[in-house]
Amino acid sequence: MKGFTLWFTGLSGSGKSTLATALEGVLLDRGLQVEILDGDEVRTNLSKGLGFSKEDRDTNIRRIGYVCNMLSRNGVTAISAAISPYRAIRDEVRGSIENFVEVYTRCSIEELARRDPKGLYKRALAGEIPNFTGVSDPYEEPVNPEIVCDTEKDTLEQSLERVVRSLELMGYIPPGEDDHTSPEQEQAIRARLESLGYL
Amino acid sequence: MPQSKRLCLIGLDGVPEGLLRGLASDGVMPRVAERIAGGHLRTMRASLPEISSVSWSSFMTGTGPGEHGIYGFTDIEPQSYELTFPNFADVRVPTLWDRLGSRGVTSVVVNQPATYPARSIPGVMVSGFVALDLSRSVKPLRWLGPLRRLNYRIDIDTARSRQDHDWLMRDLRQTLRTRREAVMQLWDQVDWRFLQVVVTGTDRLYHYLWDAVEDVGHPRHQQALDYHHDVDTFVGDIWDRFAAEETAPESCFWMLSDHGFCAIRQEVQLNAALKELGYLTLGAEAPTDLTSIDPTSRAFALDPGRIYLNRTGRFGRGCVIDAEVPALKSEITDALKQLRYDGQPVVREVFDAANIYGQGPCTERGPDLVALAIPGFDLKASPATSEVFGRTDLVGMHTYDDAFLLAPRPIEGDLWIGDIATHLEREYDE
Repeated sequence: MKGFTLWFTGLSGSGKSTLATALEGVLLDRGLQVEILDGDEVRTNLSKGLGFSKEDRDTNIRRIGYVCNMLSRNGVTAISAAISPYRAIRDEVRGSIENFVEVYTRCSIEELARRDPKGLYKRALAGEIPNFTGVSDPYEEPVNPEIVCDTEKDTLEQSLERVVRSLELMGYIPPGEDDHTSPEQEQAIRARLESLGYL
Repeated sequence: MPQSKRLCLIGLDGVPEGLLRGLASDGVMPRVAERIAGGHLRTMRASLPEISSVSWSSFMTGTGPGEHGIYGFTDIEPQSYELTFPNFADVRVPTLWDRLGSRGVTSVVVNQPATYPARSIPGVMVSGFVALDLSRSVKPLRWLGPLRRLNYRIDIDTARSRQDHDWLMRDLRQTLRTRREAVMQLWDQVDWRFLQVVVTGTDRLYHYLWDAVEDVGHPRHQQALDYHHDVDTFVGDIWDRFAAEETAPESCFWMLSDHGFCAIRQEVQLNAALKELGYLTLGAEAPTDLTSIDPTSRAFALDPGRIYLNRTGRFGRGCVIDAEVPALKSEITDALKQLRYDGQPVVREVFDAANIYGQGPCTERGPDLVALAIPGFDLKASPATSEVFGRTDLVGMHTYDDAFLLAPRPIEGDLWIGDIATHLEREYDE
């Protein structure tokens, strides 16, 4: 299979990393080579020292995009799971990578603040965390992402299948075993069709 | 009261427009009659070929077989000539429910044919025919338990129903009852904005007892009407529920069928015809499939009216080269149009697949020609028989251009089932 970059974007807590990790298992199971560049993890090494100003955020995204490009052009599935709040820099990365799939994990601030397992939204809304995306810093929704996961409503299972199915349709990953029909099932289908006169 | 616009759609598999209109005006389907009075009933073309898997795939994707990739209940493996059975994973384009989901619309889909094995949609999917195992027919899986507790039936026992019409009538009612219970439960427990359910019992009844539907003197005529009355009650119950919750329910209620039906006069075996005409030779003495196809064969058929040229480069034992294709298509078209039963033609039209399927990504997987029969002549493609004409115990066959659409507003002009998805999506633009 050809390499590609799967670029998750969405607010903090919207499910990017969870979905990326779940997806990694599916893709490995289908014989793909996979690397995840998680936003939090990247900031502890590749982008260590960068802050949360627009300039630093753009630099962080460019670096992730650079690595994704190197990986995917060598046949690896590169998964970026960083907020990547600014549309222009996302589009810049898109323009530099041949096989680029943008996945928007959509979830409202209200729902994220309600969930808020680490209390970050509560603190940000109280003004205790500066430059917090979606609260005190902008998040620019993608205009035309290849895939939208409505993580406010859908379960992880539903979002995962949505991404997997979309990648199958785009020809980036092969079909899974669950989609195949066993010989026993074929016999049962044949019998059904015969009973209605189709065979 | 829901704050956002909701749409409700009921599919009645195989119900022709004329029959629906007649049963409504005769008082057999009074609730449907109310909906006809409040909406716009018209005919609609099915897919080509006019069978459920193709028509419903066209409905749910808004595309034709050249794009969605489903040409029938069967396909053929090009090297071995063994039959294969395409399923929902072979549908190559996003569905209506996927597209609605991208716009934040959650769907509940119950008994949609050609969606097995089920996969996740933004909402809940319960697959229909030819779904086998309920555990692979339900997504998300958390709905499997509740459906099992309802004794939910995917379909009637078609093999037994074909032999035993008492069983058929009981099974139709029981299946419809569990379908209704499933819909009502999902209605209550899912925050949906698009809900659709397909009744497939109508199609089953017509295959086995179409004569009972048409013939007032048939001993099972009243039973056939009673089943339609049950379906009418099913429609009425869903309407009542919808109307109680919506501010303008008339504007959001749709019904449709995927093809029509008529009585079978004769079954017409296309592979037997191709053998007689010298286009097909099977090596086996008593062939049950096409695996013994002779390399000199120039064409073969798959059910119901799909004609494949045995091309080199496409099939393992192909002998037809590209330069021969146009003339061979023309020759077979003429020959099929010349087929006669009792002096009457049996084939209404033979379509060149290039004209009806366009240049989609799946065009190469499809047939070269598609024959459409004159109503009454049921096209088949059994390799086993050498008789072109014959009858079995089946009495009803599908028809092409008398499916129905009952829409909340008039839709003018030529219409086929693949157009409906666009109309439904537009409803959410407002």
